[in-house]
Amino acid sequence: MRTNRLLPLAAAAALVLTACGGGGESVDTGGGGGGGENTLVAAVSAEPDQFDPHVTNAYASFQVLENVYDTLVVPSAEDLTMQPSLAESWTTSPDQLSWTFTLRDGVTFHDGSEFDSADVVYSYRRIIDEELSNAYRFATVADVQAPDPRTVVITLTRPTPNLLELIGAFKGMAIVSENAADEFDLQSEANGTGPFRLESSDANGTVLTAFEDYWGGAPSIDGVEFRYITEASSALTALRNGEVQWTDNVPPQNVADLESDEEVELGSVTSVEYFYMSMNYAVPPFDNRDVRRAIATAVDRDEVTQAARFGAAQTNQTAIPEGSPFYLDYAPFTPDQDAARQLLEQAGVQTPLTMGLMVTDEYPETVAAAQVIASQLEPIGIDVEIQEEDFATWLDRQSQGDFDAFMLSWIGNIDPADFYENQHLSTGGSNYQGYANPQVDDLLTRAATEVDQAARKDLYDQAARIIVDDVSYLYLYNPDEVQAWAPGLTGYQVRADAAINFETVELP
Amino acid sequence: MTQLPTPGATPAAPPPSEPPPTAAPPRPRWRETLGLLARNPTAAVSAVVLVLIVLMAVFDETLAPDGPNEQDPSLQLQPPSRSHPFGTDEFGRDILSRVVLGAATSLRVGFASVAFALVVGTLIGLLAGYYGRWVDDALMRLMDVLFAFPAVLLAIAIVAIRGAGPANAILAIGIVYVPIFARVTRASVLGVREEVYVRASRSVGASDWRLITRHVLPNAAPPIIVQTSISLAFAVLAEAALSFLGLGPRRPNPSWGLMLADGRGFIDQAWWYTVFPGLAIVVTVLCFNLLGDGLRDVLDPRQRTLMAGGGR
Repeated sequence: MRTNRLLPLAAAAALVLTACGGGGESVDTGGGGGGGENTLVAAVSAEPDQFDPHVTNAYASFQVLENVYDTLVVPSAEDLTMQPSLAESWTTSPDQLSWTFTLRDGVTFHDGSEFDSADVVYSYRRIIDEELSNAYRFATVADVQAPDPRTVVITLTRPTPNLLELIGAFKGMAIVSENAADEFDLQSEANGTGPFRLESSDANGTVLTAFEDYWGGAPSIDGVEFRYITEASSALTALRNGEVQWTDNVPPQNVADLESDEEVELGSVTSVEYFYMSMNYAVPPFDNRDVRRAIATAVDRDEVTQAARFGAAQTNQTAIPEGSPFYLDYAPFTPDQDAARQLLEQAGVQTPLTMGLMVTDEYPETVAAAQVIASQLEPIGIDVEIQEEDFATWLDRQSQGDFDAFMLSWIGNIDPADFYENQHLSTGGSNYQGYANPQVDDLLTRAATEVDQAARKDLYDQAARIIVDDVSYLYLYNPDEVQAWAPGLTGYQVRADAAINFETVELP
Repeated sequence: MTQLPTPGATPAAPPPSEPPPTAAPPRPRWRETLGLLARNPTAAVSAVVLVLIVLMAVFDETLAPDGPNEQDPSLQLQPPSRSHPFGTDEFGRDILSRVVLGAATSLRVGFASVAFALVVGTLIGLLAGYYGRWVDDALMRLMDVLFAFPAVLLAIAIVAIRGAGPANAILAIGIVYVPIFARVTRASVLGVREEVYVRASRSVGASDWRLITRHVLPNAAPPIIVQTSISLAFAVLAEAALSFLGLGPRRPNPSWGLMLADGRGFIDQAWWYTVFPGLAIVVTVLCFNLLGDGLRDVLDPRQRTLMAGGGR
């Protein structure tokens, strides 16, 4: 999904120096926290752009908000299946058009007010009525009602089997208190129900303090301090000498060293993110299926992940990672340059042909992967010109269709609808390549309303096979989400959706 | 034609700091200069090293053991060894080959940008210094405006406007060094312009063109030559800086600055990735600077007399 992809790293670049300043900085941990010994200091690479969960698109913001807000349901840390959170239980009407959620009792917001159904209605109506960035997740929602303080009823225009993922996959769907937007400056303040309250935030970092009245029980640590350290080597040094106890700023080339490092614990899991290359159907000869298949046949994913990720990734010819209930074991392409050459010949194109491959230094591994792909396509007669753009230009060219091919990733996906609809429906909002296959449209549309999970998976599997065969996307790999922390820190789990949750963390 | 400035007509023009002590136009002195240079060990060694670097850049593809983009994933980040004396990078590419091939990029940008600055800057300096008055004012104020910008910042701005790539890098670095050449040339021309031999030539009816090409330029040249050598050092450095910032040649083409930028992320694992391209930059820049120093000693008439006298 688009939301988590826009990591505004550039904004944080200016903060490197202050973040690396080291000694002498005093941190205001606020009145309630106590601070000091039992506060977890976490090094993150980027600064949040703002703290309004319904407005921000930045991953850096969600790293913080994950610990401050709750959603009705929440993905489990283990396999990302949806679990009760603010909603204790739910039922679905026989026609699948009405979902009734029973809310948890005894939940309070950070300002002391009681949580009830009016807060849920307010939060959802805010997203829908103000057309905020996640409004599309309510596309099939007809109404949200609160018949009593403990009950919320969501009525739908058509069956939506992935409603739980839509309303709970990440904190962009957070429940804020009723009228929060009027009572608080949500850009810089927060009033959630989560395990930590947002205390303060400045150019050095963001400070959270434990919320004693948290419905799930107060966290064992007194608080969390997020510190912005852009440079990975600085973050790792700070971790080794005890200035910070946790970081997600672990470049893949450091993994091997860190595994044997006794001063650092390493956690790693294959994430739901996927890197892909996409070719423009409006630019000949990339409109030719054989040309795209030739390129897909020439690419050796093992070499790509070795150079770009130092092996810290799972190669994948489809989008959904192994481990997900929706994983499809389908790998029709075997790297073979002779076969690729033959396909090109069959397509009747003149070689050598030139292909511009647009990448962005915002995501350095795309720049690395592009160089490997360039060297793999050269022998079959495709001259790859690597076009490195800043991210703003990159996005602009993408939306203008001004490219032969580009590389990027999507992250934060749980449900297969997130993986395929926007990208491969002929009307999909992110179908920049211009893919249009009536069969895929039909399969995806049917899958979207199929309530039987097995039948639904089967429909998505069929669609995925065609998408892979047509090379709408040339899927490359699912990267590992790698995080590091101090030995003795317990109760933390690296999650496939890269959400960072410190609720159950204990410091030695 | 005849509106030549008379002495005192350009009061704004400061006298040159070191007026040539001799009135007679010196004869062509290639041999003597080379001989003197050879006697300056630092300059001589620098010159030899630079010739080697230039040869390396010219014959890069013959000299480099591998192609610039030959990848081998099984040789990722290998330390220096017999088969790869400078080690390999994250793609398993031979760093020695890329340093050799990067020389061409760096020197091409360096030479071309300095050539641009030399031609444009010298022309502006000649016109300003020779004609004086409003020509001088207009041209030199323009140079002052350019000079007011920090050099690398100006280059980055030009590249940002015109887009990355070697051609724009050449133009950007070239423009940055135009004012320096204009100032050096003007100062030198002001000194030469009033020499007896120039006035004599003018009095017998020599044209401006003849005066400038035959008398003024050759005698104003020594400081310009020195400036060229020193500017080459800075141009190579500026090229590396632009490449480092991603404003130079496009990947995967090798360039020293780009290699430094890429190697930075691996400095914990692979020191050789940054050290060897860094050394290449250091050696090249140092040699151009030392050669420039040597040339200044040799071409400065007073120093020259001293050295020639000491040699006797």
